[in-house]
Amino acid sequence: MNPLSALRSLAVPAMRPESMVPANLEAAKPKSIPFTELEKLSPGILPLPNTVQPTTGGFEKMVTDFVGEVTAKQGEAANSVNGLMSGKNVSLHQTMIAMEEASISFQLMVEVRNKLLESYQELMRMQV
Amino acid sequence: MINILTGIDSTSSALNAERIRMDVVSQNIANVNTTRGPDGKPYTRHQVVFEAVLNDQFASTSPPGSRPLEVRVPRVELDRRPARLVHQPNHPHADANGMVSLPNINMYEEMVDLMSASRAFEANLSAVKTARSMALQTLSIGKR
Repeated sequence: MNPLSALRSLAVPAMRPESMVPANLEAAKPKSIPFTELEKLSPGILPLPNTVQPTTGGFEKMVTDFVGEVTAKQGEAANSVNGLMSGKNVSLHQTMIAMEEASISFQLMVEVRNKLLESYQELMRMQV
Repeated sequence: MINILTGIDSTSSALNAERIRMDVVSQNIANVNTTRGPDGKPYTRHQVVFEAVLNDQFASTSPPGSRPLEVRVPRVELDRRPARLVHQPNHPHADANGMVSLPNINMYEEMVDLMSASRAFEANLSAVKTARSMALQTLSIGKR
């Protein structure tokens, strides 16, 4: 099992704004009045629906790509170690540098995840 | 691709080049008394040639106007100095005058070359270590 897949599944739902709203708040929201009823009261006051398209896959895609790149770096390091162990033409310093890059990018990813969780928890603590 | 350790490619190529230099020097030291090679002549001293090459792959991350340069060993050349002649009439490879041609290798020269290659390798390793510790220190911005 790839340890990064857990993080990916953790990071991706948190990026969706609707999943940040807990379920009990959803129930407490006032019931929306259908557009047709409002139109009857005063025609023309409502904004056109769907004028602003929600951007899909912006930050979410970025995070997923980043996790993918960290995985790629780890794969590169593993290939390098395998090459060194099996006597291919891989030098020791290349392997060490690849491993170091993989380690640092993993630490960077952990820092990004910590920041994301921190901001999520900050939002959850907010008084409504 | 994210570039975590910037400038590491030049250092990596330099490590490779110094490694090759060290291999060639140890080959010279190993053959210091070799009087016959595959061509029937005494071993000839080898020396590496370093060459700076452009690395276009990472040109986008470097400051404008400067292209990242890497080191490589394009070829290993032969030292053209004459062979050492030693008088040893009982040697199987002695010529009609009893002289034996020994390789044109000066052991002191090779030891100095070896030390210089080793020091250059160390210097590049320090560059790698510094790049790594800089990256780790930068990551510690996020910690509290």
